[in-house]
Amino acid sequence: MENAVTAERLHKKFGEVVAVREVSFKIRRGELYALLGPNGAGKTTTLKMLSTLLKPTSGDAYVMGYSVLREAEKVRRVIGVVPQELTADDELTGYQNVYLQARLYGYSDAEARERTRKALETVGLTESASRRASTYSGGMRRKLEIAMSLVHDPPVIFLDEPTLGLDVQSRRAMWELIRQFKKEGRSMILTTHYMEEAEALADRVGIIDHGMLKAEGSPEELKGMLKWDKVYVELYRDEDADALAKEMRLAGLEARVDSSQVVVSMQGEEVLRKVIGLLNGRRVKSINIVKPNLEEVFLEITGRRLREESFDAFKQRVFMRKVR
Amino acid sequence: MEETYVLWYREMRKWLGRKPVVIISLFSPIFWILLFGKSFNPLNIVPEGVGELGELVRAKIIELFGTQDYFTYVAAGMTVAFALFQASFAGASALFDRRLGYMDRLLVTPVKRESIFAAKVLASVTRVVLLTSLLVAVSYLAGLQLKADFTLLDLLLALLTVAFISLMFSSIFMLAGFVMDNPEGLFAIGNLVNTPLLFASSVLFPTDQMPFWLRFIAELNPLSYGADLVRHFLVAKPMEDPYIVLLLFGVVSVAVFATSAKVAVKLMEK
Ligand SMILES: Nc1ncnc2c1ncn2[C@@H]1O[C@H](COP(=O)(O)OP(=O)(O)OP(=O)(O)O)[C@@H](O)[C@H]1O
Ligand SMILES: [Mg+2]
Repeated sequence: MENAVTAERLHKKFGEVVAVREVSFKIRRGELYALLGPNGAGKTTTLKMLSTLLKPTSGDAYVMGYSVLREAEKVRRVIGVVPQELTADDELTGYQNVYLQARLYGYSDAEARERTRKALETVGLTESASRRASTYSGGMRRKLEIAMSLVHDPPVIFLDEPTLGLDVQSRRAMWELIRQFKKEGRSMILTTHYMEEAEALADRVGIIDHGMLKAEGSPEELKGMLKWDKVYVELYRDEDADALAKEMRLAGLEARVDSSQVVVSMQGEEVLRKVIGLLNGRRVKSINIVKPNLEEVFLEITGRRLREESFDAFKQRVFMRKVR
Repeated sequence: MEETYVLWYREMRKWLGRKPVVIISLFSPIFWILLFGKSFNPLNIVPEGVGELGELVRAKIIELFGTQDYFTYVAAGMTVAFALFQASFAGASALFDRRLGYMDRLLVTPVKRESIFAAKVLASVTRVVLLTSLLVAVSYLAGLQLKADFTLLDLLLALLTVAFISLMFSSIFMLAGFVMDNPEGLFAIGNLVNTPLLFASSVLFPTDQMPFWLRFIAELNPLSYGADLVRHFLVAKPMEDPYIVLLLFGVVSVAVFATSAKVAVKLMEK
């Protein structure tokens, strides 16, 4: 049993909608695997099947060797799940939330207290432990979710968009925490639609779109699929972009227009010189040379960009949660 | 067992954290019994000092209601109606746990699904038993005439009756909380069930005074049996085979609970 997780043709339909389409992957022990994909790609649905919350329509998955279909209870003992939503009980304190979780895993009162203390310390919530969760900030609530999910010291962790809506500083803190879990030898799946996050944390990345796993590999391997850098040219007048791209193609360059910018593939030394030559006499707003990154890989594979959820949209979601 | 206790503890903890709500939930039954029990008292229509007429009316009350006065009749019966009303809110805790994601969090732990359902229902029963004890105490202070040889055992039997009513209805409404997605619908169902069950029962008025069709419903209504049992235990209103009725009541309640739990567990395994 060398794999922490093995997904075998996981498939999930909601009525007519296929949310996850025959997805297979393996995660080795101690590995951090990132599922990278836009909204609605099927990331959460995949994690829910792996964490026994949803029954696959077909296919199966094994977590530490246990089948999610046939040995759900054993799977539940070895996983820690940090859900996408904030699920802590608002009416209880941070401490009570974590303590109850520990008791639910069967620990005695004394042991549960000790574990709660440690878990709160790990995420840095010791100071605010006796406050109601309803008074926590978004970042603190995320930390509380983590403490609740890790109080039983699981070898496998599922993190569903753990930094969604966090400010830069809280995001860095969360990354540090995740790196620490990795040092402790835990195996993790993390879903995200922030490509920097996948790049910064993951040993391997699976790119998922429309329920399908489109590509898989280490960030380096994936970026290796794109041989060339790209030049992005932005003109003052967006309307001129098409004409410029056309001229570039006539000059033998591989050029296209993407959100009013002209994108040229840097296939060879002379490309930049040609581009600059063609820009002569035009009003150029900016010109950028971009090294291959996961965003570019995603674009290459799916033909679309990873849409980033704005902070406002997240806030609205938290707000809606409070209202209902 | 352990995990059921832990989950029960969470529910109770949350409840005790809302003390104003706890107090307010007693207002409505107290209001009911004071309004109905005191102002609808037939003795009110007898003029002061007409001794003989007063005696006649009093005798008629005892014949009709089987209690010394109407207040005692209503106050004892209200305990089970209160249990029903409280049970109709029970499902909200399941519905909100599901909506806010707490349920998913529970479902990824190794906790048995049965325990999740049982803990919620048992917490609802516990709350009702505690509140009913308070309600009986308030009723006593307001003039409820306990039977002459009243003992603590009688109180416990009355509370057991209330617990069975609560178990039966909390299970059903809890199941509704696992089925339904919006709270408005859940409360609408509560209202739909509560009012007819209250009026078509012996809680407010004896069934043998009702038109036959209503009487037919009232005599099938668990609230009638519950109210009669409580009156028997607290104020010695005569009743046939109270212990057998209590036993059957217990069996039916537990059966309703077990069936609801089974269905709820199915619903949790999506
Ligand atoms: N319970 C459900 N019933 C019907 N459709 C669903 C359900 N849950 C998810 N879906 C659909 O399945 C698809 C995948 O959803 P999923 O939540 O897995 O996406 P995701 O990658 O996690 O997206 P996000 O980044 O927005 O969290 C979507 O089209 C969604 O509408
Ligand atoms: Mg998601």
